[in-house]
Amino acid sequence: MYDVPNSERTVTATDTKIAAKGVQVYYGDTHAIKDVDVQIADKTVTAFIGPSGCGKSTFLRCLNRMNDTIDICRVEGDIHIDGEDIYDKRVDPVQLRAKVGMVFQKPNPFPKSIYDNVAYGPRIHGMARNKAELDDIVESALRRAALWNEAKDRLQAPGTGLSGGQQQRLCIARAVATEPEILLMDEPCSALDPIATAQVEELIDELRQNYAVVIVTHSMQQAARVSQKTAFFHLGNLVEYDDTNKIFTNPTDKRTESYITGRIG
Amino acid sequence: MTDATSASAPASQPPRIGSILHESDRTKRRNAAERRFRLYGVIAISIGMLFLAALLFAIVRNGIPAFTQTYMTVQIELPADVLDENGNRDPEDLRKVSTFGYNPLIAAALERTVSEAGIETEITDGSDLRDMLSSAAGAQLRDTVLADPDVIGTTQEFRLLASSRVDGYMKGRVDRESLARDPNLSPEHLDVVDGLVDAGAINRSFNWPFITGSDASESRPEQAGMGVAILGSFFMMLVVLVLSLPIGVAASIYLEEFAPQNKFTDFIEVNISNLAAVPSIVFGILGLAVFIQFAHLPQSAPLVGGLTLTLMTLPTIVISTRASLKAVPPSIRDAALGVGASKMQSVFHHVLPLAMPGILTGTIIGLAQALGETAPLLLIGMVGYIATNYPDGVASGFLDPNSAMPAQIFEWAKRADPAYYERAWGGIIILLVFLLTMNLIAILLRRRFERRW
Ligand SMILES: Nc1ncnc2c1ncn2[C@@H]1O[C@H](COP(=O)(O)OP(=O)(O)OP(=O)(O)O)[C@@H](O)[C@H]1O
Ligand SMILES: [Mg+2]
Repeated sequence: MYDVPNSERTVTATDTKIAAKGVQVYYGDTHAIKDVDVQIADKTVTAFIGPSGCGKSTFLRCLNRMNDTIDICRVEGDIHIDGEDIYDKRVDPVQLRAKVGMVFQKPNPFPKSIYDNVAYGPRIHGMARNKAELDDIVESALRRAALWNEAKDRLQAPGTGLSGGQQQRLCIARAVATEPEILLMDEPCSALDPIATAQVEELIDELRQNYAVVIVTHSMQQAARVSQKTAFFHLGNLVEYDDTNKIFTNPTDKRTESYITGRIG
Repeated sequence: MTDATSASAPASQPPRIGSILHESDRTKRRNAAERRFRLYGVIAISIGMLFLAALLFAIVRNGIPAFTQTYMTVQIELPADVLDENGNRDPEDLRKVSTFGYNPLIAAALERTVSEAGIETEITDGSDLRDMLSSAAGAQLRDTVLADPDVIGTTQEFRLLASSRVDGYMKGRVDRESLARDPNLSPEHLDVVDGLVDAGAINRSFNWPFITGSDASESRPEQAGMGVAILGSFFMMLVVLVLSLPIGVAASIYLEEFAPQNKFTDFIEVNISNLAAVPSIVFGILGLAVFIQFAHLPQSAPLVGGLTLTLMTLPTIVISTRASLKAVPPSIRDAALGVGASKMQSVFHHVLPLAMPGILTGTIIGLAQALGETAPLLLIGMVGYIATNYPDGVASGFLDPNSAMPAQIFEWAKRADPAYYERAWGGIIILLVFLLTMNLIAILLRRRFERRW
């Protein structure tokens, strides 16, 4: 059905990075995530696919507790990262988010310069001892996000003045600059052209060497290209979770098959 | 469209749009409605501009005369036998001669000046001529002598304040007809004034004392100035700024960014909105009860005025600050939290700078409101004949009885003399200049902060 180029380099590291068990999410009375169990491996790209409104973003936001900022949102169940319960009372969500970086669905650069956008995270976490080190961090982050060539001459220009696709890459650079252990990406390529998409996909593949990457995408081709594991969500349920290879060639559930062949969604 | 629906459409139906070169009836109606709406808008703006123009015209016409003042230049002999009987220039002795003691000297000088100018008049008595000058003239002489006793025994040239009637005559406010019923000055005096104007002894000049001076008693409008009241307003605004900006902004940031959404915060929110609509006189009586009667702070003090106006300004600042915090897109907060910033870092590094122009504008508008507020000041005694002395220092600036610009204007407008009425309009011009300056500062600050996107 789909060409799965990553199929031969199947999961190498199988240590579980994130373990979710019985996760329920409610927005007021809306039951957005229904009893989801999932184990996300380290040094792996995991794709979340599913029709719009099925809860992909919601579940992703549980993993770094961004849902805390939504008053009506309630999360139940267990989510462990490296064996530690992230919803434990002792957990400081700020520390958690330094470890679990995020790229949002809509590009949201700070209304500051390109440089300051990327340097903000390293600055508040004290990652650079001097200006030169910070410059290096910014440059390497921009390079990894495939933005360096376009941005190197205008580092002091406002980040909000970039095109939509460039803004999204700036957000990716901002997220990788803080060196998180897990990177959550919510449709990072929805505003990008095919060339930038290819660059970001390359970046994702590179990030896989060190991080666990979770990517939400509406593009089945993209999921097939970049991920080793795929989770299919439908109406708040995790319908099927397996090797990408398996999901796209031989899905177990009928709903998965209907979705990837374009019959629901 | 499926084949089924297109087949069922009647073939005879004309095309829905037709030629786009001709306006269809619908388009015509729509365009006419839009033209009408624009016309209403232009009319509304014109009416507004008309009122503004009328207001400005009235203020300038009535207020500008207050900025010039009539003076009479006279040579006055300061004889030693009158001013210093013992002849030893002892300041104690010099002080014993009251301002009334100087009046005969002025009278004599006036007689001489009038006759030297060759003016024919029935008023020959110097003390009658004295009515052309302000009753403050004696004090002016005395101050000169006390400041420099060496002038005793010489003849000095003095520029003395003309009386408010003479000043009014020079400005066209007073004429012979109105003086017929006025006990202060007779029409004959005006002939003398005309003569003295020709001789160059009476002239008008810019009225600095009106801007820098203090209030004067009811009978000496020519001497009254705004200066002390301006200082009173200044000290009050200092109190308002220092208290309401940090309290207001901190309260808004807490409510908007940190406070949980529950019944209690809803209750606070409703109450803040209500407070903003409470008439200012209510804050006045609250200030009277709390700060003066309960806390025993001094009456009529700018400190109390400032505290009272702070109560009044806080809701304005809180509401505008919250509005500008709300206007910052939530995605900015998410972005900051997403890279591991704390709530406080996200607020202070990203949200607050973006909200700053709005916060500053709100604060300055709140301050401007407070600056123009009169009603609460009436209740805490900042009105009346009190702005008569400059404070001797910062502490007394806050604690000594004083008035404020709008209260001083109200006080002048209340006094019967038309000369005070003119001063009231002049005071309004000064007040408006301050308000416009504050708005200008608001605009400049806004520009400056907005450039940092
Ligand atoms: N802040 C919110 N308040 C209330 N309901 C919400 C909120 N965010 C999401 N929801 C609801 O939760 C459900 C899941 O939304 P979610 O954003 O996770 O979908 P999604 O799978 O990311 O969709 P898409 O692919 O369109 O981004 C939807 O029914 C949505 O209406
Ligand atoms: Mg989504």
